[in-house]
Amino acid sequence: MRHVLQKVSAAGLAALLATTAVAEDRPQVVVVNKALEYFAERLLDDSTDVVFPVPEGVDPSFWRPSISDISRVQSADLILLNGAGFATWIDRVSLPRSRVVNTSAAIEDQFIVTESITHSHGDGGEHSHEGLASYVWLDPVLAIAQADAIASAVIARDLGAAQDVEARLDTLRSELTELDAMAQEVLSSVQDVTIVATHPRYQYFARRYGLSVISLEWEAGAMPGDDAISELAQIVEENDARILIWEAEPPVAAIEAAQSLGLQSVVFNPWASQGAAGSFLDAYKTAVSGIAGAMGQGSN
Amino acid sequence: MIRALALAGFVAAAPFGAAAHQLVVFASVDCQAVTVEAKFSNGRVTQQGDVRVLDGENNLQTTLQLESDGTALVPLDSVDHSGGLLIEVDTGSHDNYWIVTPEDIARNCGS
Repeated sequence: MRHVLQKVSAAGLAALLATTAVAEDRPQVVVVNKALEYFAERLLDDSTDVVFPVPEGVDPSFWRPSISDISRVQSADLILLNGAGFATWIDRVSLPRSRVVNTSAAIEDQFIVTESITHSHGDGGEHSHEGLASYVWLDPVLAIAQADAIASAVIARDLGAAQDVEARLDTLRSELTELDAMAQEVLSSVQDVTIVATHPRYQYFARRYGLSVISLEWEAGAMPGDDAISELAQIVEENDARILIWEAEPPVAAIEAAQSLGLQSVVFNPWASQGAAGSFLDAYKTAVSGIAGAMGQGSN
Repeated sequence: MIRALALAGFVAAAPFGAAAHQLVVFASVDCQAVTVEAKFSNGRVTQQGDVRVLDGENNLQTTLQLESDGTALVPLDSVDHSGGLLIEVDTGSHDNYWIVTPEDIARNCGS
C-alpha cells in the first residue's frame, strides 16, 4: 500500500513539475495595465501567456513591485509599456531594452499635459508638479495605435504568425473603429453638458468626443466625505454639471448624495486595474450609453 | 484646488518627464558594489539623504548617507544580496527607490 502511495505521489509530483515546466516554457508577455492586457490577448493566441502583474486593488500607475516581481518581468519575452508616464515603477528598475516596447511611442505628439499643482515642502520652495494624462487608450483611435504597436512587436519577436496576428489586428481595429463611431454619435448629445469625474482618468476620452469634464481626486469606489460633497456641490452650482462619472461602483449612499445635487451617476471603469470584468469594448459601450442615457434621465 | 485640476485646461504638447523636481534614484551594480546615484529631476544634485538597503525579504541591511555628489557605494560583501536589493533614498522631503534583482547582479558580474 505504501508502495502504491509512493508511486502515486511520484506521478503527481512529476505531473506538477511537467505542468510548471510547460508554463514556464511558454512565452510571456508582460503588460502594465488591464487595457494592454486586453489588446495583447486579442492579438496573441493561446500559446503565449499575457501577464499583468499588478494585484487587484492596487492602482497600476503607482504599483510598487517586489524584487521577485521585477525578476519575473525581466525574464519576459516582451514587456509592453503604456507610455505617457503610466506605471512609475518602470523608471525604478532595469528592463531589457530589446524586449521593451512603448505602445504609445507613435502618438506622443497627441499626449495631454496635465495642469500643474503648486505647493511647497522641505527646502525646495514653492514648486509645481506637471505630468501627462496617461489613459490614452480611452480614445479608441489612440487605442488602435497601441494595438498596432503591440501587433508589430509580437510579429517582430516571433510570438505569433504574422498572417494570424495581422488578421486579429484587422478585427480589433474594426471593432475599435465601430466603437469610436458609436461614441461619436451617442455623445454628440452631451457635448454642451458639464460632466464631473471622480478621478482624472478621462482626458483623452473627453478630448476625442468634445466633452467638458471636470476631474476630482476621489478614491475609487469609496463614499466621499462631507467636504468632498460640499466641493462637488460648488462645482455643480458654478458649472451646471449634470453627470457624475465614477471609475468604480460607488456605495448607494454616494449615488444618492450625487443625485440630491442633480447629478446622474454613471460608472465608467477605465480598464487600468485588475478586476475589470467582461470585455473592454463592451464596458466602454455600456459607459458611453450610460452617459448619454443619464442626460435623458436628468432632463426628465 | 479641484478647479485647478479641471480637465478643460489641458493642452497638447510634446511629452516630458513628469514633475519638475522629483527625486530620481538610479543604481548600477558590478561584482564589488552597488553604486547609488540620486538627483532631482531638475538636475540639482542631491547633497544629503539616507540610503536604506533592504534585502529580498524587505529586511534592512544597512543605512548609508549620500555623499555630497549625490552618490553612495554599497559593497556587495556588506549585504545579503542573494535575493536582490531594494535601494531607498530619502532626503527628508523627497524619496524614491531602485530595485536591483539577483539577475541584475549576476548579469553585471559576468556570470
